[in-house]
Amino acid sequence: MRRILSSITDGKGFDLIMVGMTMLFLFALAGVPLVYNVVMSFQQVDMFNLNTFSRPFAGFENYVAIVSQPEFWLVIRNTAIFVFGSIAGQFIFGFALAIFFMLSFPFASTIRGLFLVSWVMPGLVVGALWGWILAGDFGVLNAILRGLGIIDGTMFWKSDPNLSIWAVTIANIWLGLAFNMMLLSVGLAGIPRDLYEAAELDGASGWQRFTTITLPMMRSTIGAVLALGLIYTLQQFDLFPAITEGGPANSSNVAQYWAWQWSFQLFDFAKGATVSMMMLIFVLVASIVYVRSTRHEVRG
Amino acid sequence: MQFTKRGLLAGLALGALVAAVPAQAQDEVTITVWSIDGANQVGPSDTFSKEFDEMDNGINVEYRILQFDEIVNETLRAFATGNAPDIVSLDNPDFALFSSRGAFLDITDMAAESDVINPEVYFEGPLNSVSWDGRLYGVGKYTDTIGVFYNKDMFAEAGIENPPQTWAEFEEYARKLAKPDQGVYGATLSARGNEEGTFQFLPVIQMSGGGYENVNTEGAREWLSMVKGMIDDGVLSQDVLSLGQWDSTGTFNSGNAAMAISGPWEIDRMVEDADFDWGVTLLPTFGEGDERSSALGGFNLGIMSTTEHPEEAFKVLEYFVSQDDRLFPEFGYLPTRSDVELPLSGIEKKDAALAVFQEQLQYAQPRGPHPEWQKISKAIYDAEQAALTGQMTPDEALSQAQKTIDTILN
Repeated sequence: MRRILSSITDGKGFDLIMVGMTMLFLFALAGVPLVYNVVMSFQQVDMFNLNTFSRPFAGFENYVAIVSQPEFWLVIRNTAIFVFGSIAGQFIFGFALAIFFMLSFPFASTIRGLFLVSWVMPGLVVGALWGWILAGDFGVLNAILRGLGIIDGTMFWKSDPNLSIWAVTIANIWLGLAFNMMLLSVGLAGIPRDLYEAAELDGASGWQRFTTITLPMMRSTIGAVLALGLIYTLQQFDLFPAITEGGPANSSNVAQYWAWQWSFQLFDFAKGATVSMMMLIFVLVASIVYVRSTRHEVRG
Repeated sequence: MQFTKRGLLAGLALGALVAAVPAQAQDEVTITVWSIDGANQVGPSDTFSKEFDEMDNGINVEYRILQFDEIVNETLRAFATGNAPDIVSLDNPDFALFSSRGAFLDITDMAAESDVINPEVYFEGPLNSVSWDGRLYGVGKYTDTIGVFYNKDMFAEAGIENPPQTWAEFEEYARKLAKPDQGVYGATLSARGNEEGTFQFLPVIQMSGGGYENVNTEGAREWLSMVKGMIDDGVLSQDVLSLGQWDSTGTFNSGNAAMAISGPWEIDRMVEDADFDWGVTLLPTFGEGDERSSALGGFNLGIMSTTEHPEEAFKVLEYFVSQDDRLFPEFGYLPTRSDVELPLSGIEKKDAALAVFQEQLQYAQPRGPHPEWQKISKAIYDAEQAALTGQMTPDEALSQAQKTIDTILN
């Protein structure tokens, strides 16, 4: 009895309890909803059987129906543009800003802190803000571009099917820029100064120092930033209802907004679950790639 | 000890008695009412609920305000978990979703015996939207429709005497009135990718001989080509694809569009904002004297079938209906029935506009009713947007919509 007690307070039992609690939470808060979602995607669900489990089994009908939607490939294309465009934009501009703020000039860290304003603002507010900036006839961006003589007519950012997905992507780059910059700044600060000094003494140019010291030393930070970027971008929902509502004609519709439309505008919860299942597979593949690419660093 | 025990018992009994007295008084029935009225401004359902609640008639009314976007979801959830309200007010195309599944109480027989509710006096459109399979499941609360607002000053300046009566005239005048160099568009409307798009586009399909079950009409194709041409030539702003009706009409009010397709909910703001002379005309038709149509908007009231007090709920409904003559003077809403006189407001433009909308209401047709209306509606506004953005030809877009609608209907 005593041995069991002592093992619980200090020993294997304690470890088991800790692991068990974590597993329990993971199971209740992530596992159950996940399984529920999988089950739903194989059923026929409408609002009148939403509360029971005994719904008609649909097999792969929902999946077939989703893939054969006329807008399916458009949504996939838009999701790809949005994800890769956002991550690339956020990362490149975030990295550039992070390096810029590593230079010591007056108020560098204060100004860097101010950049976080975009990150703390709620997505819907950012969406409304960019909605005004990107408005067609009376938008701020158009006025600026016209003033600079870059464009002649009016760019209908929100209503032109060729521009709409880019409009949301631009807003999302702005939203995620500060977060990327912060994480990358932390990574940069962790690189020992003397490495650069030694390289400089050996006559390495700025570009060489960047590619041979900064990038390799930042490898795990970059991996984390890109992985988080992927997750946040696929979670990004608020900007869509606030800026384009996925339109016009689905030209800026992405998987996460589409899933919401199925569930809460068309009340077809099964198809909403199906779309999010497809997204899950995509994220799973991406996370496997990420885990594999950073594995040796986690161990080291 | 014995005595104390007895005293305790007596005390308990007394307590139970005291508790029982208010319980008896609470024999009163409570009816819950859900609606979006009161969310932005004072509306009929919240006002009438409060009035009824204050009456000493043994029926209390508990009123809950919901947001427009969430009332359907919330009602569904409540119905599924057995906590549905007794009376709920829904947008008319959402009504069939519930009535077709027996979630609303069949009030046909109650209405037949009622002195207050008489289905015969209701306009056909609103009546259709609360009917399913020939039975009555609710009453129209208020209604609206759309017409064409036009800037009389601009018309006079361009030498155009009368507002457009056909779509051909609509295009001709819009092209004449557009002044791209001054940022003035010929017209504005809403072809947004949501219910508002369907709201404005479905009447065009209907007046060309179609309906939601048959969307690919010649008139609809013509109309889409016409509007696409106007967008391409800058006569309409491309933003009609993303603006809702309220924002789109805002550009009319500020003098940036010469005509606007919208409804009576704009009137009060227009009286305030527009510093020019304006009027309203009926939605154009394809040829002179051709069939008319217009959109039917507005909310309905229904009693949920899960109610424990159908008779009391019906009394509340009767009270709401009996106050219909106050809808317009107090709240600016149009009643759904023909036997309510609308008093003049004394504001000339407003009264003139109202007369037009009342005439237009005779041609208003409901969306649906169909239990899967939301999906049908999406097929229709998707087709409109695909055609207007040039992703597809009008024929391709409408036949794709037709295919989607056929799968839903069969």
